[in-house]
Order: sequence, then structure tokens, then C-alpha cells
Amino acid sequence: MKNNYLLLVDNKNLISKLKEESNITFLFPIKDFTVGFNQAFTLDEIKEENAFIFVNRLLDHEGILAFKSLLKKLPSNIKGIVFDDIGVLEVLKTTPNSLVKILFLNHFNCNFVSINAYLEDCDSALVSTDITKEEVNTILEQASKPLVLYTFGHINIMYSRRKLITNYNEHFQTNAPLVSNLTNDLKQEFKILENKYGTVIYTGKPFNGLYMRGSKNVLYYLINTVFLSDEEVIDIINSSTDLTAKYDYTYLSENETIVRIKER
Amino acid sequence: MIELLAPAGNLERLKIAFLYGADAVYIGGYEYSLRANAINFSKNELKEAVEFAHNLKKRVYVTVNIVFHNKDLNGLKEYLEDLAAIRVDAVIVSDIAVIKTIKDNHIPLEIHLSTQASTLNYEAALYYKNLGVKRIVLAREASRDDIKDIKDKTGLDLECFIQGAMCTSFSGKCVLSNVATNRDSNRGGCAQICRWVFLINNEKDVFSMTPKDLNMATYLEDMMGIGVNSFKVEGRMRSVYYIATVIYEYRHLFDKIKSNTLRESDILYSNDIINRCANRESTPQFYDKMPTSLEQYYLGREEVSNQDFLGIVQECKDNVILLEERNYFKVGDVVEFFGPNMEAFTYKIEEIKDILGQNIEVARHPRMQVYLPIDRMVPKDTMMRLKVFDKKDYL
Repeated sequence: MKNNYLLLVDNKNLISKLKEESNITFLFPIKDFTVGFNQAFTLDEIKEENAFIFVNRLLDHEGILAFKSLLKKLPSNIKGIVFDDIGVLEVLKTTPNSLVKILFLNHFNCNFVSINAYLEDCDSALVSTDITKEEVNTILEQASKPLVLYTFGHINIMYSRRKLITNYNEHFQTNAPLVSNLTNDLKQEFKILENKYGTVIYTGKPFNGLYMRGSKNVLYYLINTVFLSDEEVIDIINSSTDLTAKYDYTYLSENETIVRIKER
Repeated sequence: MIELLAPAGNLERLKIAFLYGADAVYIGGYEYSLRANAINFSKNELKEAVEFAHNLKKRVYVTVNIVFHNKDLNGLKEYLEDLAAIRVDAVIVSDIAVIKTIKDNHIPLEIHLSTQASTLNYEAALYYKNLGVKRIVLAREASRDDIKDIKDKTGLDLECFIQGAMCTSFSGKCVLSNVATNRDSNRGGCAQICRWVFLINNEKDVFSMTPKDLNMATYLEDMMGIGVNSFKVEGRMRSVYYIATVIYEYRHLFDKIKSNTLRESDILYSNDIINRCANRESTPQFYDKMPTSLEQYYLGREEVSNQDFLGIVQECKDNVILLEERNYFKVGDVVEFFGPNMEAFTYKIEEIKDILGQNIEVARHPRMQVYLPIDRMVPKDTMMRLKVFDKKDYL
């Protein structure tokens, strides 16, 4: 059986190259409602049938009203929505609509009780990327509905409302691009991307979770294409192996994080 | 209700916070708290803290605000039942699993939603209100208009930070620490990677994203006007001196607002005292505008330590203070006393006696006990600091 991919796209060219693939659902970051993408889309630009929209910006008092307006304008080709803000969940819960609702509460949803609680109000949820394989498996076993797994891509590991690159440029009177690379003293590398709504830091390497394909109780396998070339994405979609030789970054899936520096 | 809410990393700090004017404190137990490396409170200490607070008709909120992993759920119900049994006034939570556990098991606990949930709009607030949340600690990124809109449309109790360190990220939306050091930021282990320095595109200039501290002294009255109920000071890892100083200054500002006697000079003076104590600059951050480069530091950590905290009063009897030293001072120094329910006053050190009653010129050692003559009564736990700012200069 083919895996169902939810492909988070940030360039138009990729869509035309993959639109014949029957197992791909396109997920479009929406202009003015997302952070952390090179390109976001207006509703008019989304022509694909059964498309999903992506809303990961945390919405302020104006943003939530703008979202309500957006919801009223959604064309019929939009089948579902993936979102982060709980305000969006409340709007979707209280406004008549037939959207498939997937909660992507970034860095939360690390346990099955939370996920099942949210599943009372939505159709699916994205399992946190910040937990181990074993923890993911337990959640899949315990979840009351099929879930979405973040299966491949750079991971959004920090979201600030500040314009960090703009501020840096202003302070040093310089001109660093709004998509840049950061390196810390440990020589760890990160990618940083700013738009008018804030700044996102991504892992320097893409997380390879292709080993999760074929799991039970999964609605979609999400692939985030940001910073990936079209060829890489096509390779990943078509691969029958886990591509671990080429992509070796396992993020936090192997070792559980430390809570205390020293136990009492 | 208007509430000044203080942090407390242990029982000593909790008592100081109340003595210096806090209406409520928030604390963490050994488990489930986002300051896993603070000393925190055992079950017996939690009980003692609540009894101490309730005797003063004050309140204690307990943080249960980690993002739970599956195994963290073991024992959660029993822990919450224990907190209810000792009558804590509320729990501060970020994970819906805690809300669900409280509601499904009918545990009589008031629920406050943590700032970790990054609430910025009224629809999100309504979602949690419908789950039984009584109060929301808003995202530090919330603007005045966001706060007012949420208050007007939900009627919920709102708690806002007014002082202390800022995350660069939306709280809860950062796992830089997990990735860089394997220390879990959302389970209390944050290594504050956002305060490190970075190279950007291998340029020579240092990229930094460290925010200056938050300080809302200028806007307290305005915040009261738009319906903020609880004014929260950050810092469960902070010292007794920090807590005493900050709570003392904000208490005075609150009281002056209440008596309609607040002047700009009061705010400027308090800000200087607070900033020096925190060793950092502070600004209102998101309340009145989007922060710019001026609300950040650009060379990593820029804290400048000082030794202003000189000692704490153990006893005052027969015009003599018994003081436990914290930092070096000597005869001739001009210092200041500030303490519970008293106005700060200036004092020139004319004489120091050691514990044997011998005159000494210098008090050199932290924890050393010395006697100082005094012309008035000062309460136990009054603090002595170096006099740096003079209120007269602000008039």
C-alpha cells in the first residue's frame, strides 16, 4: 500500500512536477498566516484539487479576525487545514465548515492524553517531533484517530515574533539576507528565516524519519520541503528505502532529552 | 482584583516575597515544573508554603507547566490530588493533559493557563475557558490591543508579566536547547541557547538574539485600566535580594497608583533600582510596539554584576541591628535600608562591631554577623544595600 504524503510546499515548480502522484496531498503555507517559508501562497494561487492550507502563525487580535475572513473565502478545492493556533481550532469548532482539521501544535502533543483530548475537536493531530521513536509508537497505539507524522524535513525549532535578522541588520548597518545560516560555538548549524510576522530557526539538516513509513494509525506522512531541492523531494517521495546513508540526521528520535542537570 | 504575583524558587524566597508586598506567589514542586533546576518545593514544603500564605490571606499557585511526555503522566493524577488536598489556590498548566486529568477526575483545583500556551487572541482564550480554565497568563508577545481584546471578549482573569527575563521565542515554541544540548526546554531544562552568540553566514559580526528584560512600570496604570488582574514578576531562579527589591519597588508603585500619588519620578527611580539589581536593561517590549534592535543585546551576555546587597537584618533591639553580611562593607560607606512595610532610608556606617562586640573597620565575609547602631526600629529581614540612587535626584 502506498504511503499518503502531506507535502508542505514552498515553491510552485515542485507542484507541477509532482501533481500526477496520486498519494500526495499538497499543503500550502498561506500568505500572511505563516512564518518560516520562502514562499507563501494566496488562495487564488492554489489550483490543486483537495489541497490543504497551512496556518502556523500565532495570531494576534487582528490576525484571528483576518483568519475568520479567510475561512469565509475558502474555495471548494480546499479540503483541509493544518494549524498551530488554538484560536484557529476554536473558530473551526464554532463555524460551520467541512474542512479536515489537523492540529499541528508545534512542540506540544508529546503524549497520548493530550492528543486524544484535542482529537475531540479535530480530525487529526501532528505528533510532536521532539520525542523518541518509542514515544511516537505508544502515541500511535493509543490515539483515538489516525495521526500525522512529521516524516522528513528541516524542523522549526524556534519561532520568535521578533524580526531578528532585520534587527541585526539595523544594529550593525549591514545587509544579511532574510534567509541565512547561523553557527554557534559548538559548530552546530541552523537555518534562519524571517518574514514580516517573525523569525523561525530551523535545524541545519533535514530530519529523516522515513523509517516511520508503514506505521499503523497514520493519516498522513508530512514532508516539509523548505530548503530542499525539487530533486531531493522527488527522490524522497519515490524512495523505497529510508535513505539513511544520504540523510543521517535523526533529530531527537533516538535519545530522550534531559530534564534535570543533576537529579536531586 | 489586582494582584502582584512574585516568583519563589524556595521557601525562604516565598516568605521574602510576601513580606515585601506580593499578594501571591507561584512556585514549583519537584515534579512537572519548568524550572527543574531551581531548588523547588517538596510536598511538605508546598504544604508549609500554602499554610504560610493563607495565614497572611495571600495565595500560592503551583506550576505544573511542563509539556508532558507519555511517561510523565504516571503519577500526575495523584500529584494533582495532593495539591488539591493542601489547598493550593491554583495550578498553572500548559499541557491539555493536565486540564483533562483535573476535569475527568473532578479534582478541585483552579486552573490557570501558562504563558507556555502563547495565547494571543480571544478565540484561543475562549477554547480554554470552555475547558474550565479560570485565568490565562498571556503570551509575553501580547500587545495592549491584544490584551484588551481578550479581556473584553472573554471576561477571563488575565495575568501578564511585568518584569523579568524574556524568551527570544514565543514561550513553548522553542527547542533550541533540546537540539543543541539535549536539555529539554519544555520540561524545565532550558540551556538558554538564545543567549549564546552565533556567526551569521560566517560574517565577522556576532549575531545575537538576546532580548533585554521586560519592564512594565510605565504602563501599570494603563494595564489596570484595560483589565489585567495579575501582574507577574519572572524569576523562580532569582535571589532573595532580587525578589525583595523588585517586589518592594512594584508594591510601592501599586500603592501610589491606588492613592493617586504616582509621579513619573517614582517610576524612573524604581526602574533604576530594578535594572541595577537585575544587572540588565529593561523595556516594555511588545506592549506598546513591535520590539526593534533597541530591545535586544548584540554581544551576548552583558550582565554587569555588582555587590550592592550588603546584608540582611536578623534582629533589631535596643537601637542595635544584628546584620548578616552578604557583601563587603566598611565604616564610612553610605548605604540604604529597605524592608517590609517601611520606607527606604539612608544610613552612613559610623561603627561596626563583630559578634564579640569588638569594633571593626571592615565587614569582609559573607554570612559574617555584625552589629550596627541604629536610631529607629527596623523589621527582621530588612535588607541593607549600597546607596547608588538618590530619590531627590529624580524630583
